[in-house]
Amino acid sequence: MGSRKLRLLESRRLLTLLLFGAFAWSLSGVDWLGPTVHTGGPGALLRFIQALFPPELSPGFLRLALVASFQTTAYAVAAITVAVIVAVPMGLLASGAAARSAKTRLPIAVAARLGLGAIRSVHELVWAVLFVSAFGLSSLTAILALSLPYAGILGRIYAELLNDVPESPLRALRSSGASPFKVFLFGRLPMAFPDMLSYTFYRFECAIRSAAILSFVGIQGLGYQIQLSLHDLLFNQVWTLMLALVGLVVAVDLWSTRVRRSLVA
Amino acid sequence: MIGASRVVKTRLTPRSETTFARWSLYGFLLLSVLCWAYILGGTNSGVDDLVSGESWSNSGRFIRQLAGLESEVTPAFARGDRWLETAKLAYDTLIMSVLAIGLTGLGAFPTFVFGARNVSNGDLGGAPSKFNTALYHAVRLTFALTRAVPELVWAMIIVFFLSPGVLPGAVALALHNYGVVGKLSSEVVENLDPGPARALRASGAGNLQMLIYGILPQALPSFLTYLLYRWEVVIRTTVVVGFVSAGGLGREFRLSISLFHYTDVALIIAWYLILVVGVDLVSAGLRRLVLRDV
Repeated sequence: MGSRKLRLLESRRLLTLLLFGAFAWSLSGVDWLGPTVHTGGPGALLRFIQALFPPELSPGFLRLALVASFQTTAYAVAAITVAVIVAVPMGLLASGAAARSAKTRLPIAVAARLGLGAIRSVHELVWAVLFVSAFGLSSLTAILALSLPYAGILGRIYAELLNDVPESPLRALRSSGASPFKVFLFGRLPMAFPDMLSYTFYRFECAIRSAAILSFVGIQGLGYQIQLSLHDLLFNQVWTLMLALVGLVVAVDLWSTRVRRSLVA
Repeated sequence: MIGASRVVKTRLTPRSETTFARWSLYGFLLLSVLCWAYILGGTNSGVDDLVSGESWSNSGRFIRQLAGLESEVTPAFARGDRWLETAKLAYDTLIMSVLAIGLTGLGAFPTFVFGARNVSNGDLGGAPSKFNTALYHAVRLTFALTRAVPELVWAMIIVFFLSPGVLPGAVALALHNYGVVGKLSSEVVENLDPGPARALRASGAGNLQMLIYGILPQALPSFLTYLLYRWEVVIRTTVVVGFVSAGGLGREFRLSISLFHYTDVALIIAWYLILVVGVDLVSAGLRRLVLRDV
């Protein structure tokens, strides 16, 4: 008991030391002696904050913000649909539940997990820049880029959820002669479905934000308008658009929280 | 990536409660039909490109260019000196991610407790006050605002004030993650076992003692775990933030793309993947260290 207590103490101390050491190291990486703030920086910050009172509220601009919000939503929804279509089969393969024999299960699961990990490693905007270079700019290119990391994360979570379902109903199906595919379709999938749905809704909220920054490669939406307004130094327009984004994200967040509550309650 | 789903367990729910989820599913399907109709009809969808041979041969050429097969020059990723030159950028990127998470933790640590409903309404013992309720709403509003705005947008705004480099990128990343970690940690406090805190209150503990002995021991491991999870997300995003804040690999990536130095692009992606995998491994190790303490 005594030695165990000592070990706990040590690992806690080690962790604290590691975390604070890393932070101190990162602080030392900033060139504090050079100019960290622009000469006009404080003034610009003040103007930016003042621009919130009030933001741009003319009907014409509000209409523009509304259209931009819809565009951002459209890209997010489209990307999530593609991501789900990719993630369900990939998740099934990664869970190993689809394999016919134990011999093929492991290689298939490992390959699928590696694939999911690879597409998840790269940020959606990095994918977007690469895809635009390869295919040219179009909405499908952007949606494909946006959906890849989401497919990666959804696929991994789906695989875990499909693995976590209780075994006895599946055994019952198998013993009554159901094929592996039927066991999946009528056993595994229906049992894991509520959790899969609730996690997908959670990711939908993140997709809204990701869709907004697709503006960086030239896709329409809230981020695009924010970029234009920032370029013209029209900070009160920036605030209107940011508040529209906040409203959109909070609305989707409330929706997805209620979905999760109704499924997990 | 924040592992929120892991706690979810399948349970049989009464039919009435799942109705909302069912209608939400139908609603989402309807929404996706609407959105796809807009994208295919109302934007430059690029469907024609999918069937044109030209765009496919272009993309094939792009991949060959990344691999350095289209030019006689030695590809950047096969040259040791280019690896060394870009190592500095990778180092800056790593610094940016650690600084971002450090600032996130520094900002979120003193505030997340006040964003918990059960603290503000006195559920953990202690009298509810108007001030605490106002504080709760202010903190939650700050979380929502910082969280809803993506890192890249924060970076675009911050470069107006801060000089280019590692710092503006780290601040932009920290602002967004402040909202994410703050919200999640507040929810941890809301869900914790009220027993110890109430017992402390009943035996006459003051506010600070309640915090130190009743709340933090239960909430701190989750707080650290969330920070480490977010670090994994942050390292992936540093490159994107670097597009505008000019620190680390991001600027070089964008520059190489626009100058058509494709083998440099491949080299930067290689560094990027090394960082992502490395941070994932270190974070997993540290998270194990956190959990061993509980």
